[in-house]
Amino acid sequence: MTKQLLLIDGDKNQAGALKTYIERLQYEVVIAATFEEVKHQLGFLSWDIILADPFLSDDVAACLDLAKKKNTIVQIIILAQKDKLDIAMDIFESRVLHYLEIPVSSKTLDLALISAGKNISRNKKLERYSERLAELNGTKDLFNQLFEEVPCYISVQDKNLRITASNKKFKSHFGNQIGEPCFETYKHRTSQCNDCPVAATFQDGQSHSTEEIVTSKFGKQYNVLTQTAPIRNKKGEITQVMEMSTNITQIRQLQDHLVSLGLMLGSMSHGVKGMLTALDGGIYQLETGLAKKDDERVFKASGQIKTMADKIKKMVLEILYYAKSRELQYQEVEVATLAENIISIVKPKAENNAVRLDILIDKNLGKIDVDLKWMEASLVNLLENAVDACTSDSDKKDHFITFRAFKNTNNQICFTIIDNGMGMDTETKNKMFTLFFTSKGSQGTGLGLFIAHRVIKYHGGTIEVESEKGKGSQFYIYLPLNKPDNGKVVEFPTINH
Amino acid sequence: MKKKILVIDDDLNIRDYLVSLFNDNGYEAYIAGDVKEGIKEAKKIKPDLITLDIEMPGEWGPRFYRQLSQDSELKNIPVIVISGLSGHQYAVVNAVASLTKPFDREELLKIVKETLN
Repeated sequence: MTKQLLLIDGDKNQAGALKTYIERLQYEVVIAATFEEVKHQLGFLSWDIILADPFLSDDVAACLDLAKKKNTIVQIIILAQKDKLDIAMDIFESRVLHYLEIPVSSKTLDLALISAGKNISRNKKLERYSERLAELNGTKDLFNQLFEEVPCYISVQDKNLRITASNKKFKSHFGNQIGEPCFETYKHRTSQCNDCPVAATFQDGQSHSTEEIVTSKFGKQYNVLTQTAPIRNKKGEITQVMEMSTNITQIRQLQDHLVSLGLMLGSMSHGVKGMLTALDGGIYQLETGLAKKDDERVFKASGQIKTMADKIKKMVLEILYYAKSRELQYQEVEVATLAENIISIVKPKAENNAVRLDILIDKNLGKIDVDLKWMEASLVNLLENAVDACTSDSDKKDHFITFRAFKNTNNQICFTIIDNGMGMDTETKNKMFTLFFTSKGSQGTGLGLFIAHRVIKYHGGTIEVESEKGKGSQFYIYLPLNKPDNGKVVEFPTINH
Repeated sequence: MKKKILVIDDDLNIRDYLVSLFNDNGYEAYIAGDVKEGIKEAKKIKPDLITLDIEMPGEWGPRFYRQLSQDSELKNIPVIVISGLSGHQYAVVNAVASLTKPFDREELLKIVKETLN
């Protein structure tokens, strides 16, 4: 590309001769013979080389300095009479490339221009490098930002599965554990996991994916989908492996919920069919009883219809409870009030079934933080089960349930429900809190105890059960006085009243 | 002489229903709440027909059917399956009919009548 040269010289003849000479060397030359012209040319155009007589005007030196500041590539060559060269050198020092004596010898000019050309090329190259370096830094920052901000847990691991780098999300959930083995950080294990995808990638260089359950530094468990990718050096050797994990806990929870709902509908259908048949039976007994004027049959039928309607109502409500979700609504209630509410609901059922209900509520139990509706429903469920266990037992003549509330030494509220009903074998006892498990055949939904157990568990409480087939069962429910600290957001079925 | 029908079902309400239905329609109905009791009653009363539930606590209906089939005295008694479960009828291969709860009362009486005549 043709280089552009500004020639600042007040001597028109000399300037003309120089222009002609320099143009032969393939430069585009513009002459500025007055200070006004100098200002104009330096103000609007960018030059490769300035060949200048600084003594054209007092202000030329300042203009040249400014031009150099604006365009670092420009090469300045000073032209001066022999007697003024020293002064020029004092002014510009090393800020200019060359000092040429007037009259200028063609050889000196050639060499100065070649030197300027080389400098220009080198400076331009440097400028390009600087630009690229800036670009590279920008890209590095961008990738770093991507690595940090990507909404996944990312860690880079060496051959010993030690973490060498991790992103922001990883650090916030698992801590800044650089140098620690992955299995310790992710799973709080002391040895490598079976089927480690990182180890597999080190071995075959392929990407591997697994689904894992990991534990955060706060003890919270997440379902994650983990994928790995090799990081290679210039020789193509795998030096590190990147592990990227996506948190799919919510998806899994939703899936579990859907599976549970599917299971529920499946298991419900048998119970629903039984109840509808029994309802049909009640209607038949009522119709035929009325036709035959058989009061006993009518009475029995109306009882049966009522029982079936109650069962269907209970089942439908349980399904609705299960299907809807909300957080537990804590409130401070008197333990005695809670116990009285429960007793008032269960007492009629016990009396109707000739089951004696012994109540022992300690005085001054104080207050407890509970979701009143749910805790009532859960304890009523456990007590109603005790009544059912008594009515299903034909071996003993008299049946009783003891319901007790007291405060234990751990400052927990304890409810105990002891019955002398049919009791449970070990298998039934082990499965009793499992979703959709029922020992009542078509009479149960398998939801009641499952929900009761969950309610107590989410209140930070526990249930212990002892039972012996044929002898009876004992339920011990322990509840903390206050809402659990972990502040766990619990999705829980809603009670609609 | 009235024809005897043995109703085997764990649900007391359904047993009562079937007993009334059969008694009202000129049959003599007997009941059993599980497989063990069912075999005992079948041997005792030698029913002309048995209605059998599939899912019952303890042993399930098809087990009763297998025991019935292996007993030379009882193996020819016709069985009608009345169950809340569908798809398990294969386990009672020679059942006269399989009805799903809630069943149609007239349909059941029609099958019973046809079987016993």
